[in-house]
Amino acid sequence: MEDSINVEDFDSLGNEENEETEEVPLTAAEVIELMEEAWRNEKFAPDILPNKSEVVDCLLGQISYMEENLRNLKTADFQKSIHQLEVDRLRFLVSSYLRQRLQKIEAYTFIILRQEEQRLEQNEELYLTNNELEFARSYKESIEQHFDDILSFWPGVILVINSHIERTNEQTIVFERVKDIVNFVKMNLGQVETVQILRTIFQHLVLYFVIDATLKENVISL
Amino acid sequence: MAMDPEEVEFLAEKKLVSIIPTFNSNVIHLISGDIGPFRASLPVNVPLWIAVNLKQQQKCKIQPPDWMDVDRLQELKEEEKMSRTFIKMPSEHYMIEAKLLLGCASDDIPRADEIRTVIKDIWDIRMSKIRSSVDVLVKGAGTYAAVDNLTLMEINSIRPLLPHALDQLYRMRKTRKSAGTQSQNSSTFLSMNVNSKNTPSKS
Repeated sequence: MEDSINVEDFDSLGNEENEETEEVPLTAAEVIELMEEAWRNEKFAPDILPNKSEVVDCLLGQISYMEENLRNLKTADFQKSIHQLEVDRLRFLVSSYLRQRLQKIEAYTFIILRQEEQRLEQNEELYLTNNELEFARSYKESIEQHFDDILSFWPGVILVINSHIERTNEQTIVFERVKDIVNFVKMNLGQVETVQILRTIFQHLVLYFVIDATLKENVISL
Repeated sequence: MAMDPEEVEFLAEKKLVSIIPTFNSNVIHLISGDIGPFRASLPVNVPLWIAVNLKQQQKCKIQPPDWMDVDRLQELKEEEKMSRTFIKMPSEHYMIEAKLLLGCASDDIPRADEIRTVIKDIWDIRMSKIRSSVDVLVKGAGTYAAVDNLTLMEINSIRPLLPHALDQLYRMRKTRKSAGTQSQNSSTFLSMNVNSKNTPSKS
C-alpha cells in the first residue's frame, strides 16, 4: 500500500524546552489519543490550560502527509473515502481544540494576559503559544482602542465604563467561579474529609479545584 | 463549558463494532491504526464511524453489540429501577451507540423498535435520578450525589447548569453571611477576598 504511513517519521515530538529529556516515540494513534484528551480537558476546564502545540503540530503533520498521499489515489477508490473521512475528523478535532482556546482568550483576555506576564516574569513555562499570545495582545489592544474611540463621544461616562471593563474581567473569570464552588462545598462539609468526599462524590463536578495543578501536569484528565 | 451532544458523539464513534462486510479489501492503513483486511461475510471489528459509513453505502451488515438485546436490556432496566444509585451500563456510550446503530442499521438488529424503547426508558430513569440528586444537592439537604457510573453524555447534560447553580447559591450565602452570622471555618480556600474577616473557629 503506497498510502501507508510510517509512524516512525513522526516520532519527533517535543519542542526545544524538553530536548534534554528522553523522547518517547509515539505512534500516530497515541498522538490522536493525546489530542483528544487535550481537547476534552480544554473543553471542560474553566481556565486556559498549558498549550499542547507539539501534539497539534504532530497531528497536523500526519494530516497533511495523508492528504498528500490521497491526492495520488483515484477518486473512485473506496478506500479513499474512508481516508478522507478520517482526515476530516482529525481536522475537526484540531480546529475545535484551537477554537476553544481562542474563545477563552477572547473571553478572558485581560486576566489571561496578566497571568501570562506573571509566568514570564517568574520564568515559568508559558501557557499560550506565540501565535496565541500575539492574538491575545492584539485583541486586547483592539478592545481598548474600541472603547477609547467610543468613549471620546461620551465624555460623561468614561470612568464608569473603564472600571467596568476591569471588573468584568476579574469577576467573570470562570476560575473564580470554580473556586467558589469549593468554598461552597467546604462550607457545607467538615474540613477533614472534604477532599476525599469530593473525589468520590463530586468526581465530575468539583474535582477541578482539587486537581487544577495535577491537570496541568497531565496526571489526570477531565 | 460543556460539549455539544455531537461532540460527545464524536468521541464515542471510536468505539469498535463488529461488521460483516460484503466486499473484499486489503488492510486499510488509517492514521489512527490499521483496519481490515475485509473478507466478504467474515466479521471484522471497525470503529463505529466507519461502520456507519460502510452501512450507508450498503457495504456491510452490522452485528449489534451483545448488550443490544431486548431481554438483557429489560433486566438492566429493572435493575436500574430498583437501585438507588446508578448501575453500570454495558457500554460507556450506550445511548450514542444505540442511536447510531439503530438509526442506520435497524434492519440488522432484531427487535430494533423494542430495543429503542427500552433504552429510552433506561435513559429516562437515569435522567430522573440525576435531576432528583441535583435537586437534593442544590437544596443543600444532602451533600451526597452519587455520580459513579454516569456516562459522559449524561454528565454532560448537567455539566454547565449544576456548577453554575451552586455558584449562585454560594454567592447568595456569602452575602447573607457577610450581613450577619459567621459560623464557618475560614479555610485556606476561603480566605482571599471572601471572608478574610472571619477568624477560624475551633470545631
